[in-house]
Amino acid sequence: MAERRAPAVAPHAGGGARRPLAAVLVAALVAVPVVLALTDRHLAGASAALVLSTATAAVAVSVIALQPLLAGTGRVRRHRLLGATVLVLVLVHVGALFAESPSDALFAMSLDGPTRARMALFATIALIAAVALGALKERLPLATSTWRILHAYLAAIVIALGIGHALLTDGALDGTGTPVLLAFAAIGLLGVPAAHLARTRRTRRRG
Amino acid sequence: MRPWMLGLLLALVTAGIAVALLDSEVSGIGAVNVGESGPERTATPEPPQDEGEQRAERRCQATESNPGGTNNYIPAAPERESLGSGFVITGLVRTADGCRLLEGLRVQVWLATETGGEQDNRASVRTDAEGRYRIETDPTIPQFGEPNIHVGYDDGDFGEVFIRRVVDLDDERAVVDLTLARRG
Repeated sequence: MAERRAPAVAPHAGGGARRPLAAVLVAALVAVPVVLALTDRHLAGASAALVLSTATAAVAVSVIALQPLLAGTGRVRRHRLLGATVLVLVLVHVGALFAESPSDALFAMSLDGPTRARMALFATIALIAAVALGALKERLPLATSTWRILHAYLAAIVIALGIGHALLTDGALDGTGTPVLLAFAAIGLLGVPAAHLARTRRTRRRG
Repeated sequence: MRPWMLGLLLALVTAGIAVALLDSEVSGIGAVNVGESGPERTATPEPPQDEGEQRAERRCQATESNPGGTNNYIPAAPERESLGSGFVITGLVRTADGCRLLEGLRVQVWLATETGGEQDNRASVRTDAEGRYRIETDPTIPQFGEPNIHVGYDDGDFGEVFIRRVVDLDDERAVVDLTLARRG
């Protein structure tokens, strides 16, 4: 029972599991918007669909902001996994809003809808495109440099418009939530060029 | 792809997104902020009209429905005295033809509050002798991104009107006047 075994798979260099402090920090970063959003009074008397919609969106806020850091530090597998996770979170967020009120959801996405909904629409399209680029990287006839610029551009759109959507949305991340959102926007938007630079340098060094 | 082509493509996409965002209205088309705080006005303001015209010829601009006005509408809301306390939805109802105040006309209101969503909090309320409807509710909460209220008229004598308006979270009242045009 107490026999020690070597792990079947060697841990990745710089993996988060070896740095408990980093893991705790990341967990705290993810928890802040979730706790703020779920304790806001706009969820008083709200349906399960609305709670689910708020929770998935609040998790997505921190994950999209941290994505460039993962890419820039070479944690590509984790970056891909979380990219797919964000897409699922966003789709559940939208699906739950449809379940809550189809008429409100369709109105929000129509040409008559509010600015915040239009931001969300563009951010979602950019997210789908960014995930598709990631999934099809090997199969697309794109030079690595072109692929990298496109992916970085789409990531910047997702972060800017996704968090812009959250800033313009009342309830959830109001008040204390606003500086939290701005901080995540800053982390994410500074992270994109930093990650691009780091990845480009790494490729050059290898080449 | 050549660098200048890629740059041009991304610049065009960015410009398209910027134009689409600038072209939108913050709260959705026609959803002006009708929130108020402070003492409630009780005097009946004169409707805008041309000086010197005969009363019979007066015309007031009919209220138009705005997009999203019918969201979560369920016909024939129950007549209720109130939907809670802390927030008031009120307004004057007139005819477009002659600008006359309408008494006993049924107006329907619905909104999201702490007691439930827009489909749960709905009421029919009738205008008094001065053409005013008024109902107290719990404060509205932003279930769908922004605190908003709906006011509708759908009883057939006049053309139907469905309104979606927004308020601020700390407002005490939403004022939505309706001017109805006869069917015909």
